[in-house]
Amino acid sequence: MTAAETTPATDPALLLQVDGLSHRYPTSTAPLPALNGVDLAVGQDSVTAIVGESGCGKTTLGRMITGLLKPSDGRILYQGQDIWNLGRADWNQYRRAVQIVQQDPYASLNPGLSIRETLRPGLLHHKIVPRREVQGEILRLLELVGLDADEAFLRRFPHQLSGGQRQRLAVARAVSLRPQLVVADEPTSMLDVSIRVAVLDLLLSLRAEQGLAYVFISHDFGVVRYIARGGRIIVMFFGEVVEDGPAEEVIKHPRHPYSYLLLESIPIPDPRTARRRRQEIATDAVDDLAEQPPAEEGCIFANRCPFVEDACRQARPPMAEVSPGHRAACLFPERVPQLSEAIPEIAGV
Amino acid sequence: MSTHQMMALHADTAGGGDSDARQQAPAILEVDNLSVNFGPLRAVDGVSLTVREGDIYALAGESGCGKSTLAYSLLGMVPPPGVVSTGQITFRGHTLTGMDRRKLDQIRGAEISMVFQAAMNAFNPVITIGTQVEHVLQAHPDSFPTAREGREYFEYLLRLVRLDPEVVWKGYESRLSGGMKQRVAIALGLLLRPSVLVLDEPTTALDILNQRLVIDILNDLHETLGVTIIFITHDLALVAELANRVAVMYAGRLVETGTIDEIFYDERRHPYVSALIRAVPSVTADTELIKPIPGRVPSLAELPPGCRFAPRCAQAIDICQSVDPPLLLDAAEHGVACHVVNAGLSEKGLLK
Repeated sequence: MTAAETTPATDPALLLQVDGLSHRYPTSTAPLPALNGVDLAVGQDSVTAIVGESGCGKTTLGRMITGLLKPSDGRILYQGQDIWNLGRADWNQYRRAVQIVQQDPYASLNPGLSIRETLRPGLLHHKIVPRREVQGEILRLLELVGLDADEAFLRRFPHQLSGGQRQRLAVARAVSLRPQLVVADEPTSMLDVSIRVAVLDLLLSLRAEQGLAYVFISHDFGVVRYIARGGRIIVMFFGEVVEDGPAEEVIKHPRHPYSYLLLESIPIPDPRTARRRRQEIATDAVDDLAEQPPAEEGCIFANRCPFVEDACRQARPPMAEVSPGHRAACLFPERVPQLSEAIPEIAGV
Repeated sequence: MSTHQMMALHADTAGGGDSDARQQAPAILEVDNLSVNFGPLRAVDGVSLTVREGDIYALAGESGCGKSTLAYSLLGMVPPPGVVSTGQITFRGHTLTGMDRRKLDQIRGAEISMVFQAAMNAFNPVITIGTQVEHVLQAHPDSFPTAREGREYFEYLLRLVRLDPEVVWKGYESRLSGGMKQRVAIALGLLLRPSVLVLDEPTTALDILNQRLVIDILNDLHETLGVTIIFITHDLALVAELANRVAVMYAGRLVETGTIDEIFYDERRHPYVSALIRAVPSVTADTELIKPIPGRVPSLAELPPGCRFAPRCAQAIDICQSVDPPLLLDAAEHGVACHVVNAGLSEKGLLK
């Protein structure tokens, strides 16, 4: 990444750039780093979804983008500037402009603070509105996220809210500082099915109204497909990016064996598709591979890959373009088969 | 006949006349008008359902709908202060509700067994898995002629859940991944050769590949051992992939029961179930058609007077606001608790 160091990114459409990001937790006994050489570019008003299974480093990446965790190596550029070299005033601006919505709305809200006190300090600290308008701004925010915008509601505490209401409050808190980028870390995984889409719709409407960009972290391809329409999907495996491309393209034509296995394995809420797929796919191959540790040399996915060759174990495969704007870290992307008929057929390709 | 119905019929014949076979299969667990109260709150309210031999039966619903309380009551394990306030549960003719503790202990584990949610924490971390299995065998000395046979049977089960008995028996739980622990917990649940295995959210908290593996393994176990499976889930994808029959609950009430094809495709469906299916973002659904259900699940302390789903229901009519609809079964035991849906049905097509 020496080239990037001498010429900082100047593309004005780029909001955030992640450059060769690596992280090793100091207490970790794991043989592999939590993140290893992750590159990422987030445009203004875009949705970038990061998909991967637990332990793939997606939450670590989200925390780093928000400045909550300092990477061991690599840089995060916000509007072209390395966030860890910002002066005090710029750092404050960055911390205002990049917000996070965390996974667990039962843990991310302070139980001792009323709704008013959850939203007020940020507005005052960053001088978002004049002091006498803070009350009105809080009510406006509650209305914006679909909560009751009245005085009585402001006096409530998180334990008096349902899971969906809590997550709406967490979204209100994030957007209260008028950010440009919101990192949403599994914001719907703790919510009931019937209200999950309502929270996703809220995020999408805020994007349309306020020109927000999202980094949306999830393990659920269905949710990701819904929120990242027109955006990008980045697939991670044990701290490394293995595939990066337009959302629908990655879901319908995955070109990395890992993305392919994930998409082939996803349980589908449709019995006919499920039955058809059961006949088409021999899952026995997945069994032995699912529990294999990541490879310590060469391609990180080599131990689990059904298409592995000796060459894969020599060196880490670079991200290579497989179709316009779609890249995969695989030496043999052409070996990745088409997904079983069942999926694209239903999706109406 | 619409293509819709034709496909459903075709699916039935392809499955070896599933619905006919079901009529013949004897009931193994019958729940009749069961209610469970926590003080004044009724977590389960007048639920009746029949699980037959060989079923893979899903109890589905969102958090707080009563599905877990119902499943726990099947094993007489409703946590205090919860009490069974009405109705009864019958297992092969034996009434479980109100059965004395010693008799119940002979049925629990040996006849009806349970795999709890969070299998991650189900094991003692400081003794080997093998020792824990030996403890279970010591507590049930009559289950196998010799301890050795018990161990051999457990090793057989481990192979069925696609694990290496050598590694697991001598190992500690910390050496197993989350997915492996869930599979060991399933093997342990089957150790005393129960006829019914109840699983609480068997794939929640597992990665995609492990979810797929657990689904395949449960399908295999059902086929190989002939065990009847009941599982609790909030995940419609798991219902579609694993179950043959489903009971959907909402705010303590059973709102629909039927085969998975009836629940997913039948024209006579509960509006909540149709809405729930439309609310799931999946990789196959048409993104434009995905819609959330407006409003939220009512609190058990403030239930609406009529149908509990009426405040969120787009099809609700006057009667829905005042009268709680009964669950009406048709001849194929497909039951729906909805005034609107059942109004179009002739009286004679219904069982009760």
